[in-house]
Amino acid sequence: MSVLSEFINSYFLWRDPMIVGVVSGSICGFLGVYVVLKRIVFVSAMLTQISGFGVVLAFYLQGFSTLFFLTDPSLLSLLLTCAAVLIFSLRERFLYISQESVIGWGYILASGLVIVIGDRITQGSHDVASVLFGTAVVVERHETITVTITAVVSFLIHWFLFKDFIFVSFDPELARLFRYPVRGLNAILFLSIGVVVAVTTRALGALPVFALLVLPPVFALLVTDRLKLLFVISPFAGLLSAALGYFLSFVLSLPTGASIALVAVFLTVLGGICRRFGLLL
Amino acid sequence: MDDFLIRLEKVTIGYNGKGLIGPLELSIKRNQFWGIVGPNGGGKTTLLKTILGLIPPVRGEVRYGESGSLVFGYVPQSGNFDRLFPLSVAEFVAMGRYCRIPVGVGIERRDWEVVIRYLKKTGILHLRNRPFRSISGGERQRALVARALSGEPDVLILDEPTASVDVRGEAEIMGLLEEIRESRAITVLIVTHFLHTIARFADHVVFIDKDRGAFLTGKKEEVLTDSVLGDVFGLDAIIKSRV
Repeated sequence: MSVLSEFINSYFLWRDPMIVGVVSGSICGFLGVYVVLKRIVFVSAMLTQISGFGVVLAFYLQGFSTLFFLTDPSLLSLLLTCAAVLIFSLRERFLYISQESVIGWGYILASGLVIVIGDRITQGSHDVASVLFGTAVVVERHETITVTITAVVSFLIHWFLFKDFIFVSFDPELARLFRYPVRGLNAILFLSIGVVVAVTTRALGALPVFALLVLPPVFALLVTDRLKLLFVISPFAGLLSAALGYFLSFVLSLPTGASIALVAVFLTVLGGICRRFGLLL
Repeated sequence: MDDFLIRLEKVTIGYNGKGLIGPLELSIKRNQFWGIVGPNGGGKTTLLKTILGLIPPVRGEVRYGESGSLVFGYVPQSGNFDRLFPLSVAEFVAMGRYCRIPVGVGIERRDWEVVIRYLKKTGILHLRNRPFRSISGGERQRALVARALSGEPDVLILDEPTASVDVRGEAEIMGLLEEIRESRAITVLIVTHFLHTIARFADHVVFIDKDRGAFLTGKKEEVLTDSVLGDVFGLDAIIKSRV
């Protein structure tokens, strides 16, 4: 009980990180449903790494350039992630190489560059670690606002285009037959994922964002066979993973990102048990 | 004035600019039932997708009626859907209605009424809340037909709709198509390997075999001749017309 009261009494310490965590968990959980249903889990891994690379590159370039868009970690991360998303969503084949191979290539390239460039910078090395693994205990006010606005805008876009995103994801051939702008809708869908990944990776770190994009939807798929419920359960599971992860991180002095990821893993195990015993919603 | 619904004018079909067979001429009129037959890999599905506008013709033009556009109901070869999506049968069938619902607009009550009507017509209303991925092959074919019909199409196009069902399932699906044709004037194009299906239900036939460069069209009696059956399918058969 004393742990809980200590936690509550310290709310001024965790309020903003918690807000960012639960908002990120909700929106990542929501968008992650598409990531899992479209079987592009490693796209989110690639995007989180590219986003992380953008942050690291911006720190590195601060020593050489005064150009704002090259030296602002959030902006460069956003630009690189959106560029990767557009290239990926607008091309189905790359010189006869499958998409998943290209995703692997992008992931390895971004990861390698993060380590190589991260090794070259002294200033902001702590930020590099936080971007990769999510040690974001302190969140700046502007990050809270940015993450919240991004999440609200993404939810609104998905509210209006829900039917269309599901349609082009499930049956793109019929969507083309009905003259739906399949490429355009896919580009919007991936861009929304890319922007959310860039913004939340800067606030939470690559590992927890990847976990929140993949594991809450997996949990939701395990506990329901209803499409619309999937989009309710998954954001809720993301929110729960983030909130519980922050709580455990605070009271047990654990790394925040890893705590969030492990809570999400635990949820999927719980989901597997529910499915095994037919306890579906 | 030729009252065609679909017309292929000097069309060469193929992929990525590489022609498979052509130039082809074909004119399909309202309320006709066309069967498309030919050997495996003969170009049947490519022809169908060219007619649908899913694959652009390498050369020539595909024209659609006087208005220049048609609403298609399409039943693709079954088993191509991702079983990960937890769509209910009703949600799956409702997708056929999207040809009449613009991007950014949701499904309204009157659309659901049409969906329910076709779920009833195809005999799967009781499955409406079941996950699409969990129903049997025959039920899935019915759901595919219901989906194609829920858009209230001008033309119904079916790509091997009975390939994955047993004899009874085949009879049920073809009986269903016959019922639909009786209740609603609709043009039907069906790709199938089963010549007996064509012989019984179609009034016109396209025979296509890209390897032999063969493309025959016309009334079924004109196309399904003893020589075509013998040369192409290796059948020693004599065609007798039903009185």
